[in-house]
Amino acid sequence: MSDVRKSQILMVFLVGFIFSTTVVQAQMPRLVLDIKVGIVDTYSGPPAVFSNDALNGFKLALSDINKAGGVLGSRITFVTRDEKFSPETGLSMARELVLQEKVDLLVGTINSATALAISAYAREQKIPFIVWIAKSEVITGAKGHRYVFSTGENTAMAGKALAQFAASRPYRRWWIAGEDYEYGHAIADAFWRYMKQLKPEVTLAGQTWWKTGEPDLIPYLTAILSARPDAVFFGTGGAGMANVLKTMRAIGFAERVPTAIHTAIDYTALKPLGLNAPEGVMGTTDYLFYYPETSDNQSFVRAFQSAYGTPPGFPAFHGYITAYFIAEAFRRAGSLDRERFIHALEGLRVRTPVGMVEMRACDHQAVLPMFAGVTQKSPKFDFLVASNIVTFRGPQVMPTCAEIQHARGQ
Amino acid sequence: MVLGFLASQLLVGLSRAMILFIVSAGLTFVLGVLRVPNVFHGSLYMIGAFSAFSIATQLGHHPASVWVAFLTAPLVVALIGLAVERTLLTRLYQREHLMLILFTFGVTLVLNDLVKLAWGADYRSILPPPVLQGSAVLMGVPVPRYNLFLLAVGPLVALGMWLFTHRTRIGKLARAAAVDREMVALLGIDVNHVFAGAFLVGAYLAGLGGALVAPSTSITLGMDHTILIEAFLIVTTGGLGNIWGALLGALLFGLTQSLGVLIWPQFAIVFPYLATASVLLVRPRGLLRSVW
Repeated sequence: MSDVRKSQILMVFLVGFIFSTTVVQAQMPRLVLDIKVGIVDTYSGPPAVFSNDALNGFKLALSDINKAGGVLGSRITFVTRDEKFSPETGLSMARELVLQEKVDLLVGTINSATALAISAYAREQKIPFIVWIAKSEVITGAKGHRYVFSTGENTAMAGKALAQFAASRPYRRWWIAGEDYEYGHAIADAFWRYMKQLKPEVTLAGQTWWKTGEPDLIPYLTAILSARPDAVFFGTGGAGMANVLKTMRAIGFAERVPTAIHTAIDYTALKPLGLNAPEGVMGTTDYLFYYPETSDNQSFVRAFQSAYGTPPGFPAFHGYITAYFIAEAFRRAGSLDRERFIHALEGLRVRTPVGMVEMRACDHQAVLPMFAGVTQKSPKFDFLVASNIVTFRGPQVMPTCAEIQHARGQ
Repeated sequence: MVLGFLASQLLVGLSRAMILFIVSAGLTFVLGVLRVPNVFHGSLYMIGAFSAFSIATQLGHHPASVWVAFLTAPLVVALIGLAVERTLLTRLYQREHLMLILFTFGVTLVLNDLVKLAWGADYRSILPPPVLQGSAVLMGVPVPRYNLFLLAVGPLVALGMWLFTHRTRIGKLARAAAVDREMVALLGIDVNHVFAGAFLVGAYLAGLGGALVAPSTSITLGMDHTILIEAFLIVTTGGLGNIWGALLGALLFGLTQSLGVLIWPQFAIVFPYLATASVLLVRPRGLLRSVW
């Protein structure tokens, strides 16, 4: 190819590029009054299942809010950015959303490391940031501050709920196992911390950790069986969770030793395995679409099901209540001023599918109930559900404000 | 009982080694004959698993559905592999290795996105065929029947590879090309056909590994990375291009993993890597003769 021809092609591309960007910008003038939410989350790779679920819940709530006239006379709109599960990418996306897109607040993400990176940026820029899936307890705990909020449960709440649920049973020698990454250790630490508080006589028989994405867990699980502990706690989530459940079923693990896993009763974890998930596993979650059977929950589930063809998982619930927290806070603030928004959000109570939920003022953590139960088959569904459900109200599972202040070194 | 656990760990480790061997054999065969470090071998494995899922679920509850998936999914993958080889890779054989790595890496990104388009980001699961579900109890310890089945498949694949490379014309040519490709070309043999055939076999093995692993794990995006790293380690430990080396490397990797769990469960992750690293320290070119 001659140089002349190359430069011609290059010119065509350049002109086309400039033209396309101007056309796009001309077509989408920004309404001055729109409230714009910038969402950074993982939309590629395995975590996208959860992130898309959260986004769907958020969209469902927004369409209701906007149909009802929006807030302060403006619609709430949003833009999304894919952080690809990388804190560096997530942080630069957040910067871009704030500087280029001029969003009014940031929302995200499933990745705790990204959430913490954006949280630090939000603090520096004085822009509100609502975390909706990431479960690290330091987000609103030790590293919490004025500009960061969380609308989902965290490892402290989950660990405490599951510890309370399991402590009522006669198990003393526990084995702790899990996936060797931040969440796996964080949830295991929280569970064990509260377990020892509630029941000082428990002992740790041993630990097993495997690498994330480890396809074959049979050697790990049979080795645990050989140690004959009274009960086992697994720190795992996402695709790793499906693997643990599948392996448990293959070797009849739960029949041999009682097992507790946070999110083991969760719909997103149980659905892929259908009726072949193990029964009798103790688990916790902060949302179940079939419980409580209140009209608020049922109408949310119906609306979600008709919009997306599947029942909502816990991320959808977080996304849904996030939208209501945002709308209510702006309504209460009476303006788009960020400081007034934060002031309005602190202590705000909104009506959600699981009842009234408060955004606790001292740590900016949504006071969510936690549900604990045991996996079981049900004639109503073609996947396992939770049975013997116990509800722990938020204050029963959350660290106290004094503990939070202590963790923040105040 | 203790003996029972030891035996079950051994069996399970061996069965894992069989999957690793099947995948690594494909990688090392392509590496030996074509001199291509095929980075998208892992993606082919992933496509094998996803295809097995689709085929098995399409056929529904028929007891033979998973067997059909085992037979057909690897063929689908082999054809995809062949298509990439014929349309793109064949133009790049004369380039240096770095270029080939970059190109095959590029293909992994494309295939990853295609898998996401075709199957979505959800993780999937299929069950073993009905006769292989549940576990057999050996000396009081449960061992999944499916893993016992894998123990039988591995040697069959090894035998199949031996027959292919020693008893078929194209297999012999592939072996010859691995040793001296110029000479094969000088003898008037169309090396292109040999390459296409070898790549087809490599891709088939990746797909077979993926289809066979599907019932014992969750099928997800990202499963390609794990297997690729392990397979490259195994291939390097065994000696580049040497199929029997891949078998040895896979056994070493699988067994150190499952026995390591018994010895020191908290740090079980490191055992297979420690073992392969030690081998490479002592024998930098691998356990068996490398054809490179």
